[in-house]
Amino acid sequence: MTKVTKSKIEVIWSMRKWPKEYIKWRLVTAYPNGWKFALSHPIIFVKDLWKFLTWCQMIDNDIEI
Amino acid sequence: MLKVKIKDIEFSSPIIAASGTFGYGDEVSKLVDLSKIGCVITKSITYENRDGNDHPRIHESSSGMLNSIGLANVGVVNFCKEKLPKLNNIKTKFIISIAGSTFEEYQSVLKTIESTNGEHVGYEINVSCPNVKAGGMEFGINHEMIFDLVSELRKLTNKLLIVKLSPNVTDIEKIAASSERAGADAISAINTLQGLAIDSKSGDFLLSTKFGGLSGPAIKPVALAKVFKVYNNVKIPIIGMGGISSVSDIVEFLRVGSTMVQIGTVNYRDPSLISKLYDQMLNFMNENNINKITDLTGDYK
Repeated sequence: MTKVTKSKIEVIWSMRKWPKEYIKWRLVTAYPNGWKFALSHPIIFVKDLWKFLTWCQMIDNDIEI
Repeated sequence: MLKVKIKDIEFSSPIIAASGTFGYGDEVSKLVDLSKIGCVITKSITYENRDGNDHPRIHESSSGMLNSIGLANVGVVNFCKEKLPKLNNIKTKFIISIAGSTFEEYQSVLKTIESTNGEHVGYEINVSCPNVKAGGMEFGINHEMIFDLVSELRKLTNKLLIVKLSPNVTDIEKIAASSERAGADAISAINTLQGLAIDSKSGDFLLSTKFGGLSGPAIKPVALAKVFKVYNNVKIPIIGMGGISSVSDIVEFLRVGSTMVQIGTVNYRDPSLISKLYDQMLNFMNENNINKITDLTGDYK
């Protein structure tokens, strides 16, 4: 059965309960200085976020839950 | 029903969170019912704190993810001071992943943690991280070095000692057997596969280190093959991993010889998936009249 791909807004909505400690850790994982890097490189951050959301839309098709 | 045992440690579920995909464990405690997770494996800890590799260090790919994070972590002293007290209070067991560039670093990290009052049940020895220029990979691809390293670490602790193997080798079974001979209690298999991504238009590499480790559903068939090979060459339990994203994936890993499984890359999509897998695994067992999860281990024809 083919899944209906979520929109990027729906993907973001599905993450609304993520704790700030977890988001902070995710930024540390992605960037050498964590949130500081994200704040000082906003264009890079937005591009990376867009890529991540696109990936979420794709990986949802692999997840059978 | 889902209980499994490794050595003398009983886990409430065989489904556990892979290192590097779940923070240090405490970050998600408000989001995920940790009692439904058999165990959390922390991010790998080195002796000194590390910022990791330059940006970009994550590249999302088809059915997977390429990363070269480079063991970014707070260092063992900060870990023991800031993270360990929080981890001691989480509602599940936890295992500490340790990494290093030299024998001495692995020993120092383990000794430092052993000197604390940590409630951890064991250590996962990361010998296979392909992202650190000096260290990781050299240990992971050489069975004699693995034997020496595990033998030395075995002398320092009675807690579980789990060796996480690299798939980027010709004979993973030989390296698993060396780990077993040296005193490892279990094998984690597999870590990421070496990969590379490049921009077709500009020719730019998409990771600052060029090479990275590929994980996610894309690597599952490779992981199943490696786990199967290890299962047929060692007697110690195997914690299978590599692209698991559903209950059927979990069952496949159990059937080829895993006693437990680790969930990794899909945690990046949703860290609460792992607790949903616990519920679905229970349903699967009820529907298929399976009383003990351990009955599935090595149950292939």
